Amino acid sequence: MIITIPTVTSGEKSFVSDRFGRCNFFYVYDTEIKLGKVYTNIHKDGQGGVGVKASEFVINQKTDVLITPRVGSKSIDIIRDANIKIYEATNEIVKTNIERFLNNELKEL
Amino acid sequence: MQIAVLSGKGGTGKTLLSVNLSYLAKNSIYVDCDVEEPNGLLYYKIPNIETNDVLTLYPVIDHNACDGCQKCTDFCKFNALAFILGKVRVFKELCHSCGGCSLVCPLNAITEKEKKLGSIKHGFYEDTEVYSGEMNIGEESGVSIIKELLNRVSNTDKTVFIDSPPGNGCSVMESISQADYCILVAEPSIFGLHNLNMVYELTRKFNKKIGLVINKASNDSIIYDYAKEKQIEILAQIPMDLELGEMNSNGEIVAKNDKFRPIFESILNKIDEEVQS
Repeated sequence: MIITIPTVTSGEKSFVSDRFGRCNFFYVYDTEIKLGKVYTNIHKDGQGGVGVKASEFVINQKTDVLITPRVGSKSIDIIRDANIKIYEATNEIVKTNIERFLNNELKEL
Repeated sequence: MQIAVLSGKGGTGKTLLSVNLSYLAKNSIYVDCDVEEPNGLLYYKIPNIETNDVLTLYPVIDHNACDGCQKCTDFCKFNALAFILGKVRVFKELCHSCGGCSLVCPLNAITEKEKKLGSIKHGFYEDTEVYSGEMNIGEESGVSIIKELLNRVSNTDKTVFIDSPPGNGCSVMESISQADYCILVAEPSIFGLHNLNMVYELTRKFNKKIGLVINKASNDSIIYDYAKEKQIEILAQIPMDLELGEMNSNGEIVAKNDKFRPIFESILNKIDEEVQS
């Protein structure tokens, strides 16, 4: 299963970004091999439609689960159309959020 | 001649000024470019006003012809196109109708279709010609409507008063693009000053002749001091006046009242001198 999380700094020790489309990085974690990859969000300073581009990225990563505090209305439509589940992030670091998700402790948005 | 009235902050008096100035000026046109929330027609009450649709173009993808090269999604600066699950998806409300996607598509899989973006109302109130643009709810950019409004008044020998949208974004830039003179309106508050500074910088970038009107003027000299520092000509100070406020809130044209008419007349005279100099 692939879990994608928008993050403030890079890596699993970063806090989850409170902005989805304009986050600095994405952390893409593969639960099979227990390994995460960091991607820079190249669209974060765009003037508009950054949520659309972020959703496009999330989908193209073959994400199964998105963990984020919030998502905009356009993004949520796109992501739900792709059958990706969205879970609400806590204000803890990325690693903790993944553990909490795997322990069924996160709420579905 | 085109005179644009703008202010960073909303509710400072753009409509008050542009309605009353255009009402007093002879041979004039009032254009409400605040297409997100036009309110000029609350003052210029015109029964059975003529209304025309404003259309805009958006791309339609022929998914059978598209091979997913993503040249269009990479091209779109407004992120109105996204490649999702092997298909190009169009987000109409983000599209700025530039037509670039259909040009870069190597397979001609993109055609442009029309959709209704809003409307333009046009009529006469006594001698004043009135235009008002209105954007449909749910749309994100009114620039095309403003372009169409200004297009309608581009070849006129009348004096055009443009009631700009608030802020300093794309729609404000569009509305002042052809202006010969800009009237900045500000109210004496910290928020008022902050946003005045934003539009001041915008008019500097566009190299416009400007003048300042301080509305709701009080003992607070925050805007006055700023104007002195930047050497901006102060056209008038409209006092915080209960009677004026009430009349204006009731949708009355205050320049019809002898008490307030001289304020607007003196602004018109000063602008005449400025534009000719």
